[in-house]
Amino acid sequence: MNVFLQSLLSGVLVGGVYALIGVGLTIIFGVMRIINFAHGDLVMLGMYLAYFFFVALGIDPFLSILLVFPVMFLFGALLQKTIINRVLNALPQNQILLTIGIGLIISNTMMLLFTSDYRILTTPYSSSSVDVGGISVSWPLAGSFLITAAVTAALFWFLTKTDTGQAIRATAQDRDAAQLMGINVRRMSVIATGLGAGLAAVAGALISPTYYIFPQVGQPFTLKAFVIVVLGGMGSVMGATAGGIIIGATESLSAVYISSGTKDLVVYVLFLLILLFKPSGLFGKSRM
Amino acid sequence: MAPVLEIRHVSKFFGGLSANSDVSFDMQPGMIMGLIGPNGAGKTTLFNCITGYYPPSKGEVIFKGRKLSGLTPDKVCKLGMARTWQKVRPLAKLTVLENVMVGALARTGSLKVARESAHEQLAVVKMDHKAGFLAGGLPIGERKKLEVARVLATRPELLLLDEVMGGLNPAESEEIIQLILDIKKRGLTQMVIEHDMKAIMRISDRIVVLNSGEKLAEGLPQEIVNNPEVVTAYLGEAHV
Amino acid sequence: MLRNLLRRETRRGSVFPPLAAAAAALLALALFPAVVENPYALHLMILFFLSVIMGEAWNLIGGYGGQYSVGHAAYFGVGAYTVIILLQAFKIPPWWGVWPALLLAVLVALVIGGITFRLRGPYFVLASIAVAEVMRLAALNWKDLTNGAEGILVSDIPPLVLGGHLITNWVSSKVPFYYYGLGLVVLVVLVTLWVQNSKLGYYLQAIREDQDAANSLGIPLTFYKNVALAISAFFTAWAGAFYALYVGFIDPQTVVGLDISVQIVLIAIIGGIGTILGPVVGAAVLVALSEALRANLITDLLVKAGLVSETSRIGLFLKDNLSHAHMLIYGVLVALVILFMPDGILGALRAWVRRRARAAAPQGR
Repeated sequence: MNVFLQSLLSGVLVGGVYALIGVGLTIIFGVMRIINFAHGDLVMLGMYLAYFFFVALGIDPFLSILLVFPVMFLFGALLQKTIINRVLNALPQNQILLTIGIGLIISNTMMLLFTSDYRILTTPYSSSSVDVGGISVSWPLAGSFLITAAVTAALFWFLTKTDTGQAIRATAQDRDAAQLMGINVRRMSVIATGLGAGLAAVAGALISPTYYIFPQVGQPFTLKAFVIVVLGGMGSVMGATAGGIIIGATESLSAVYISSGTKDLVVYVLFLLILLFKPSGLFGKSRM
Repeated sequence: MAPVLEIRHVSKFFGGLSANSDVSFDMQPGMIMGLIGPNGAGKTTLFNCITGYYPPSKGEVIFKGRKLSGLTPDKVCKLGMARTWQKVRPLAKLTVLENVMVGALARTGSLKVARESAHEQLAVVKMDHKAGFLAGGLPIGERKKLEVARVLATRPELLLLDEVMGGLNPAESEEIIQLILDIKKRGLTQMVIEHDMKAIMRISDRIVVLNSGEKLAEGLPQEIVNNPEVVTAYLGEAHV
Repeated sequence: MLRNLLRRETRRGSVFPPLAAAAAALLALALFPAVVENPYALHLMILFFLSVIMGEAWNLIGGYGGQYSVGHAAYFGVGAYTVIILLQAFKIPPWWGVWPALLLAVLVALVIGGITFRLRGPYFVLASIAVAEVMRLAALNWKDLTNGAEGILVSDIPPLVLGGHLITNWVSSKVPFYYYGLGLVVLVVLVTLWVQNSKLGYYLQAIREDQDAANSLGIPLTFYKNVALAISAFFTAWAGAFYALYVGFIDPQTVVGLDISVQIVLIAIIGGIGTILGPVVGAAVLVALSEALRANLITDLLVKAGLVSETSRIGLFLKDNLSHAHMLIYGVLVALVILFMPDGILGALRAWVRRRARAAAPQGR
């Protein structure tokens, strides 16, 4: 039972960070209806940023999110303004091909600049854990979960209590109606992409103490993010949050009870099952 | 004579919204049924239910004595029922001829036969001279005619026309009216959704009026026009 | 006549000029190895043929059918692994082993199609990627069958002996692979031509243009999509088998990886999807670009043009690294094509020809 609880708990904790990645993706989709296949690479950029802040400036990764977020927000906003905005009316297949291309550019530029050597970020508390009722909880995971919770709460506040946040939600719900109501939907697209990128990067920074950092690490995160978002319902922030935790738990339990080599397999099979039987996800309502 | 189409208590719900509510009527072979009603009355929804685009939530559609429940649109077409779309749907990157050929291929595997059949139908709508033009570049009037030619090529017995006169000028509308009457002469049964009341009055043998998803009235054109409930539903829009 | 070659060849009429050109090209290609003995040149042509086959095969379901599968590596991998496993583990010569490989690929395609074809647009793309990843992970983890990440080295393809005569031992010359490749290209092009002028071709294009309208015209969607995918998978798998034999080594990342899937799509879209000539153009561009990268030709060009000094930090950096920048260049190409040339090079050419024609005849059309 202990093993079960142990793996469930660490799965949920990791799932919190996954949720952050998924939320970023779902916001981008919600506002622009574009499937961002470069999302995992944005996570990777967050990991590298956290690494360099740590190595060069000694800033703890958990603190560095204060720097990582604004930097990547700007990056995402720039990406939207210069490139993604041009394909808002193209065929969805072409849009996704473009984001695949962008992802390839990002990850391969990083490989060119930093080689595919694994980098490891070790903080003084990287391997410490705390004992809670017989279950060992890793400090970095617990810390990142708490921060994720805080960030998610801040995001909810932003989306429900601020004008800009509500404008974003309005754009996601009905772009034309929002435009008619005087909302600058182009600006919303830029902000949404910045937000999505920022959240993805923050997630990357949070997991940087627990993952090997290398340029290709983004790709599995992209696919995982999609599973999360489809599970939760495309465009639903709450859904992505729930989805992230579910996927984290599923992954962790699969690694323990089946084998660590097949945990990715389980996630992708789950993805296909969802696409087949409940494509609108837990909370979404889009018809495919 | 056995009715060619029987609509039995068809209802269609989208979540909480009832787009069609307990609609029932029959159609006899060879007739033209006008289907009218204010915007949002559920006319196109009914077409979609009848042709299998989605199944009705309740009720039955019976075509030539056969229940259509659960049949997909392609099977419905093969059985002899074809429909046009409210928003025209040309196969843009194909030529006019190729568009109609796609329709004709529902009845033959031979491209040669399909090509001949396509030319025939294009002649009926008087567009054979445009056979080589790309469908995507046509003006709206010709797109509508193309769509009619295309569905005629599938050799339907029952033809459902959804606002085929929408967006056309009077001359173009007159062409379509003549076309519809022509098609009737060839023995096809037709159901026509239209907002142009004059046209509906001219071509329909009977009229069904939908309002807010329900069948408001059914009868001969003169009965419908003098029905006070129908007039109220259309208040401000009637131009008879 | 240029116009005829460039169009989306969905019409009949004036088949003759392109036919004559094609015959001439075929003759030239057939005589090429007799004239050119340089093995590197043969190698490039073989790569070119391989790319053309992959592109034309994808075109059937992607270009004509409008279903952008970014998971065709699944079929490429099935072809490669099946042929090699049959060869290495069961000593079955590849000319027999290829047939079960192709059959298996078609079966896999039908299963995948059954799963994914009810999804539209981007969801179909995602599902196709997920399926290919599942296959890659299967290849990676099923070590007993595939040797996992270590891959399989091809040792000793048996010599091809017909009627007592040794045709080739596959090792001393690239020429047999050249003709194998050329033969496959001809086959794929003929099949594509046949599809184009068949009910299948018309129906596929209808599905691509407007799925719902096509459905309402009597077209059973999943059936025709599956037929197209089956043919596409057939030839993609054959390309995989060919690759495995030619290169002599396979592993999950190389033959079932996302890179292959992206490359295949790229070949088709760079040239112009939905045309026969498109993948040929795309293949030519990609192979040329790959080799130019690999052989440091691009860096040399930049140096010669005086843009970069050979000994500067940038120069040295480029020299060391650009040859590995395959996927980076592919990414840039995808982005450029989507942004500026969504109809591919042929599409851009067609538009240019049309604009010149209109400029030359300003009155009316």
